[in-house]
Amino acid sequence: MHSSIFNSEPQAGVRLTAADRPGVAQPVPTRDIPPQPWRAILAAALALTIVAVGLWEWRMRTLGLEAGDLGDDASAWAEQRRRIDTEDVPVAIVGDSRILFDTDLARFQALTGVRPVQLALAGTNARPFLEDLADSPFAGLVIVGIAELSYFRTQIGLNGEALKRYRFESPAQRVSFVIYRELARAFAFLDDAFRLSKLVRHAVPDWRPEAKRPLAAIPKVLSMSDGRQAWLWTRIETDAGRRGDVRAFWAGFAGPKVADDVIAMTLESTRKAVEKIRARGGEVVFLRPPSAPLVQPKEYERLPRAKGWDALLAAAHVQGVHANDEPSMQGLDLPEYSHLSRACATVFTDSYVRRLAQITPRLQLRPDAPSPLQPSDCAATDASMVAQGAGRIRAVPPQ
Amino acid sequence: MVFNSLTFVAFFAIVLILHSLPFGWTTKKVNLLLASYLFYAAWNPPFVVLLWLSTVVDWWAAQRIVKTEAPLQRRAWMLLSVIANLGVLGYFKYGHFLLENFRAAMTTFGIDYQPPSWDIVLPVGISFYTFATMSYTLDVYLRRAAPAKSFLDFALFVTFFPHLVAGPIMRPTELVPQFATPRRATAQQLCFGLALMTLGLFQKVVLADGFLAGPAEVVFDGTKAPGALDAWAATLAFSGQIFCDFAGYSTTAIGAALCLGFALPDNFRFPYAAIGFSDFWRRWHITLSSYLRDYLYIPLGGNRHGEARTYLALMATMLLGGLWHGASWTFVVWGGLHGSYLAAERALRRRFAGYRPSAFALFGMGAVTYALVNLAWVFFRSDTFGKAWGVLRGMAGANADATPLLPAVDLIAVAAIVGGLVLTHALLRRQTLETLVARTPAAVLTLVWACMAFAIVIEQGSGNAFIYFQF
Repeated sequence: MHSSIFNSEPQAGVRLTAADRPGVAQPVPTRDIPPQPWRAILAAALALTIVAVGLWEWRMRTLGLEAGDLGDDASAWAEQRRRIDTEDVPVAIVGDSRILFDTDLARFQALTGVRPVQLALAGTNARPFLEDLADSPFAGLVIVGIAELSYFRTQIGLNGEALKRYRFESPAQRVSFVIYRELARAFAFLDDAFRLSKLVRHAVPDWRPEAKRPLAAIPKVLSMSDGRQAWLWTRIETDAGRRGDVRAFWAGFAGPKVADDVIAMTLESTRKAVEKIRARGGEVVFLRPPSAPLVQPKEYERLPRAKGWDALLAAAHVQGVHANDEPSMQGLDLPEYSHLSRACATVFTDSYVRRLAQITPRLQLRPDAPSPLQPSDCAATDASMVAQGAGRIRAVPPQ
Repeated sequence: MVFNSLTFVAFFAIVLILHSLPFGWTTKKVNLLLASYLFYAAWNPPFVVLLWLSTVVDWWAAQRIVKTEAPLQRRAWMLLSVIANLGVLGYFKYGHFLLENFRAAMTTFGIDYQPPSWDIVLPVGISFYTFATMSYTLDVYLRRAAPAKSFLDFALFVTFFPHLVAGPIMRPTELVPQFATPRRATAQQLCFGLALMTLGLFQKVVLADGFLAGPAEVVFDGTKAPGALDAWAATLAFSGQIFCDFAGYSTTAIGAALCLGFALPDNFRFPYAAIGFSDFWRRWHITLSSYLRDYLYIPLGGNRHGEARTYLALMATMLLGGLWHGASWTFVVWGGLHGSYLAAERALRRRFAGYRPSAFALFGMGAVTYALVNLAWVFFRSDTFGKAWGVLRGMAGANADATPLLPAVDLIAVAAIVGGLVLTHALLRRQTLETLVARTPAAVLTLVWACMAFAIVIEQGSGNAFIYFQF
């Protein structure tokens, strides 16, 4: 028998493996079944697991999670993106979390008769997705949501995986997504932000505050229903503690100024993408949703409006709507500084759709469109919160 | 599809039901074969063709080997199988690597060669099933194995879904005979198989993906230089992650096969309790290390041609073993380090042949083994040598500009999980899981099983592919 590179002397007490039998035919493995009352153990373990999961579900519901909150992931995005290829889609939205949370798709539809395909992604740069549409046959209207610090950067951001998933999604991924979505309609605890490891990460006090927190530890801010209708999670509006956690994350808006070469690259690539879409008969408009007075100065300190938003409109020869410029968008409620409350998202959508309808013929208001909403229409909830001392921030242009 | 996906839960339930219905044995095997193709196609349907190609070539080559006695012809058919298998593997796995290195070599000679773009997807698990199917023709050629009696049995040996994409790497003599007679799991086998699957998925979903992958990613995929604490924590996290990921896969695979009435071999044997590197490789990825030993090291001469040749064969085996893991020089260095460890150990064993270590010395040698294994993991995990050196400098405390990278919770999680893992390996190094389970009270087993299942459910999992799928 050949010697082995590895010592082939069998060890007492362990089952022999191929490591113990060099250079010979390996026999059929044997697998011992430990003598235990396995049926009873399985039944009891199953029962315990079901009870524990039931209790967990109850606990998660007390924390504000709801069945039917479908969450968001690459497969959900890819499903919507495929609609561009298979349906006659008149309006698509790309962008980051602001336009994602701040758009009420039903209101949009009530006003125009068109329900846009929502392709915005939280924490993600809209530019690669605009370029993706530019390279597709899409010839409708693209609404690009702009948060300057997300758009003017070289990285794709948190959910770049979505584009890859759209380009190749395995059959297994599609099936898993469908099963997960159906389970999420029934179970509230199925929420990415409330998985065990994330809860542990939030529960343990950090004695290394200087260590950068992993992005995976961002608290839950989003709730999602069919068709990727996203809202700011209700609990953020009602729970000052959770609101404070999210606000702490937005402290990250501080940072270095956006480099000139990044600005130039962004302007040029945007111009090219817009040209491609227009060459096919499509159109592009930009939309800058509001951010809170405590946040916006930090954003414009890193990328002044003149070098970012204004330069973008000029370079791409597109029209846009900036929340700071619209009286109907002032005084909206931004519970955690960056995204509108659910009620104010409807008001904001009402406002920006009406404004876009003025600047592009691609959007037309229905004759039976509902009456315009005002910021005061989403103030009722806000007033109650202020009365509870929750401390809300309203969107106003920076002084 | 991956084991840690909802698709697999549905798939496996259907397979179990089909396998328990009163069909004939041939029908059940056809069901298993079709299910296995479905399992593979669920990742990327066109690549099933590669499976078929590998299956047909090796079946045909082995048939020809059996039917001829002429040594040259036998060898030719064997080489056809090897070339076909390694050709497919080389094209998909190493084509880009070879082109890039050729371009770099040309550049050193002042020639500006721009290779064509190589935008080819690596078929999942190709290294595993290529090795498995190749072992069939090699064993038939070496007269170690009788050829399969039917093409169905052989195709099922190649494709059987529990081992298909990440092992254990099966030999024909281990699995083909199991298809000869009807198999159906007993209630005991089914229950224990499900328990093993729960353990494997707990390792993968909760420990590897939930708690250990994150700290490793922050340091190894980040741009900042780590300090000593972060560098060691990330490396230890990766050592735990790759074990829980890969051993978790193997345990799930063994459990899945057991639920169907089949036995797969052990692939891990508490490797982090190894004392020395020959011991480590008898415990880590056993089916690969024994494969490399039987089909590479021994044919290269093994230890039959003097010390120098032995060291050469040893190093060649480990370098190629490193390259098997991925088309990157960092994997080659990882293999080279392990080759060096093994060579050094061999030299020390010869130098101190009569030495009988005390328990304290054994503990020390185990600790040194684990530390050196971790040093090698740095190259395994790093995408570039620059990153590897950065982490190694951090481990030595030589990154002067380092800032804390990992939050306290990650440090605690790594210490608890990896510490627990190593301790468990140390306690069980001379046992099997089954002996531990046999002497554990049923109530404790029930509680542990329920806790693991509950943790899997509430961690939810995100269907992350197993690390070894890329190999």
